[in-house]
This record gives sequence, structure tokens and C-alpha cells, in this order.
Amino acid sequence: MSVIDELAGELSKLPGIGRKTALRLTYHLLKQPRERSIRLARALETLAERVHPCQTCFNPTEDAECAICRDPRRDAAVLCAVEEAADIGAIERAGEFRGRYHVLGGRISPLDGVGPEDLTVSELERRVAGGAVTEVIVATNPSVEGEATALYLQQVLAPHVARVTRIARGLPVGGDLEYADGITIAQALSARREMP
Amino acid sequence: MPLVMTDAVVLHAFDYLESSRIIRLATRDAGLQSVLARGARSSSRRFGLGLDLFASGVAQIQLRPGRELQQLDGFDLTSSRDPIARDLERFAAASALAELALRFADGDEPGDLYATLIAALDAVAAAPGDRARDVGLAAAWHLVAGFGFAPVLTRCCRCELLLADEDTATFSHGAGGCACRACAPLLPRGRPLPPEARAALRAWTTGTVGTDWPVIETAMRRAHLRLLREFLEQHLNDGRPLRAFETWERGLGTLGAAIG
Repeated sequence: MSVIDELAGELSKLPGIGRKTALRLTYHLLKQPRERSIRLARALETLAERVHPCQTCFNPTEDAECAICRDPRRDAAVLCAVEEAADIGAIERAGEFRGRYHVLGGRISPLDGVGPEDLTVSELERRVAGGAVTEVIVATNPSVEGEATALYLQQVLAPHVARVTRIARGLPVGGDLEYADGITIAQALSARREMP
Repeated sequence: MPLVMTDAVVLHAFDYLESSRIIRLATRDAGLQSVLARGARSSSRRFGLGLDLFASGVAQIQLRPGRELQQLDGFDLTSSRDPIARDLERFAAASALAELALRFADGDEPGDLYATLIAALDAVAAAPGDRARDVGLAAAWHLVAGFGFAPVLTRCCRCELLLADEDTATFSHGAGGCACRACAPLLPRGRPLPPEARAALRAWTTGTVGTDWPVIETAMRRAHLRLLREFLEQHLNDGRPLRAFETWERGLGTLGAAIG
């Protein structure tokens, strides 16, 4: 196997990269200055060597604990459970949540062979059982599997924590009621709240 | 490239590239289809919010003969089966049913199989929480019968002797059903099947999907699930694990205590 084939083969293992795209990327790298390819290779090496899951929340970090878990200004009593580490970025961009996180590492999916034991549920349970957490916000995706995972978490965590809450579903900000679909309107109605 | 509009139900869905999803659909007119739903993750404009597991709708598919992955142009939701996600037993049972359909059915199954699958999923979605496992079990056997694998239950599968309702029969997976006392020792690997279990199997594999399916005792449920698993393993015979079925058999709703 040639070096070109070897790199294309490795690239094609990445999500969303097919054989053709992998070859295109490989030839693109060949056209680049040598230093750029070496920088990319070093960055990949450093990533593999230094980055690992945070020992508390499983967010990728270079230290024992991630920056959010180390931040004393973050509220340790409120945890937000998310499916993937990428979801933390989305919530952080909103700038509303000041608690800490727990990365589950996926969602329960019997069809894909993913059960609760494949997620970091028992670690979350241990974290919550310590007594310092007063609320867990379950922010799994609003899909059937995300809802089932949320339900499972609720059952597991309820004995240990005062509040297990679920992020709301409903009309998007800036959206138009006229163009919203039936499911969204139904969920927005069922999750309605008193006006302050 | 013909555009096909057909009733369909989502059996499996996974993310593809940045914003698309690949969906496995069971359809009324085109059998099982794998379709690419472009942009389904980033925008609800094209497919609404309906492209989720166990949802039914009218799918618009660009069908290209010979292709393994077709293009989904639209999906108009008719039923989201929300109750399935509100109960872990229902969720696990529906996942097992979807897995059975994906593994047993090929691409050219007729519409009545689609109807059987829809009826089975509807029954699970409507089942009260404490009966979700019973109904799921019944629906799974009903589906297996719909695929043409109904076990022989009223006559000996070897000599065709009529079996008395009150008799315990020997159920042989390899032979495809029950055997009389004389034939049982001649058949491969059998399990004794008490009369009430055989009656339940008869009710589940014949007739229409119904809420009058018999209620099963907890101990019997385990035995029934084991019997079904062994029967499926015998007839699928492809060496691939039934992952959703295993999760269902273990009992997703009770795993919390086990892993804690």
C-alpha cells in the first residue's frame, strides 16, 4: 500500500469522509507547503497524546479536570447532562448556564447496541450521590432516543437529587407561529408557563 | 428517476455528514428502503420534525433502481408515536420490533407486512406501562408470523397429529413448532411448552393485533422472551447479534438498579 493510499484510508475512517473526499484531501495536502502538513501531523499527535476526558465530567481536556470543572465561579450544585462534548459548546454560546456539565458519551440506542452501561450514567449517579448537587438538567437531544435516555436518567437520579429537569421544547425564537409544525406547537402548548 | 410517494415508518436513523441523516424506512409500496435525508439535522423546513424513530408519514422518495441509498425528498408526518419515548419498556419493545423488521424483511415485502408492522408499533405505543412488555412480546410474535415464520402450534410439526389443548407439548426451534410425545425425542433441541404458553402463542401469531392478548405472569414473560430469542436465532441464522432484542430481554426499565 502506498503512503497516499494509507493516508486516504485513515482519512476515510473519519465521520462524513468517504473514499473520494479522503483522496481529495490527501492530494490537497500534497499541494500544500511541507511545513503545513507537518504542523497538521504534530497537531494530531499532540491531540492524541494530551487530550483525554475530564475525570469529573468527561469533557475533553488536557488537564485532570476541564476548565469548567476547575472554575470556582461555576455553580457546582447544578449539572447539565449532555449527550456529546460538542453540545457543551452550543450551550456555552448561549451564555445563560452557569452550572457544570456531565458528558454522557451518547444516548441509549438499543438498535445501535448502546445501553446505559455504555454511557457515563453510573459516574453521573456517583457524582450526584455525593449530595452537593441540587439539580440535574437533562439536555439530551429532543429525539425518541434522547427522550428515552432522559427518562432513564430521571429514574436513576431521582433518589439522589432534589430536582431532575428536562430542557424545554417548543417554538424557536424569531420563528413564526403560522409556519410551525403541529408537533412543535403541541409541545410548546404542553410546556407553557405562567407569565411573570 | 421515479418519485414514489408511499406510507412509511422510520425504523432506524443515524447522522450522516454535517447535517444529514440516513434513515431506514419500512414502506407500504417499496418495502424496506435506506434513504438520505439531506439537511435533516440542521433544518426542519424540508422534513418537519417527523424523521424520528417509529414515526409514520408519507415519504417522497426518488427511487433509483439498483441503488442501495435512495434520496428522501419529503416526509409528511401522520403519527409520531410519542408515547413510545415516554416509557422505557415501550421504547425497548419498539426498538426490538424495528430490529426484527430490519432483519427479517427484504426490500420487496408486500404492503400487508407494512400494515402488520404499523399495527404492532401502534399496539406497543398504546400499551399501558405495566403491560408494555406483554404487548411487545405479543407484537413481536405477531410480526414473526407476518414474516411467514409462524410456528406450528396445534398439530405435531412432524406427524401432524392434532395436539390436545390441555397437553404440554415439546417446542422444537429447528423443527419450527410443537411436537407430539412420540415425535419429540426425534426432533432437535426442544423445550416443554405448557398449555397456557401454547395458547398465548396461538393468540399472538394468529388473527389481528389486539388488546385482548393474554396477560402473562412475570416468570412466564422471561420464558417467553427466551423462547422467542431462541426461535429468532434459529431462523435468522446469520450470526449477527440481535442487539435491540437483547436490551429488551435484559429489561431496560430495571437496569438502573443494576448499574448503580
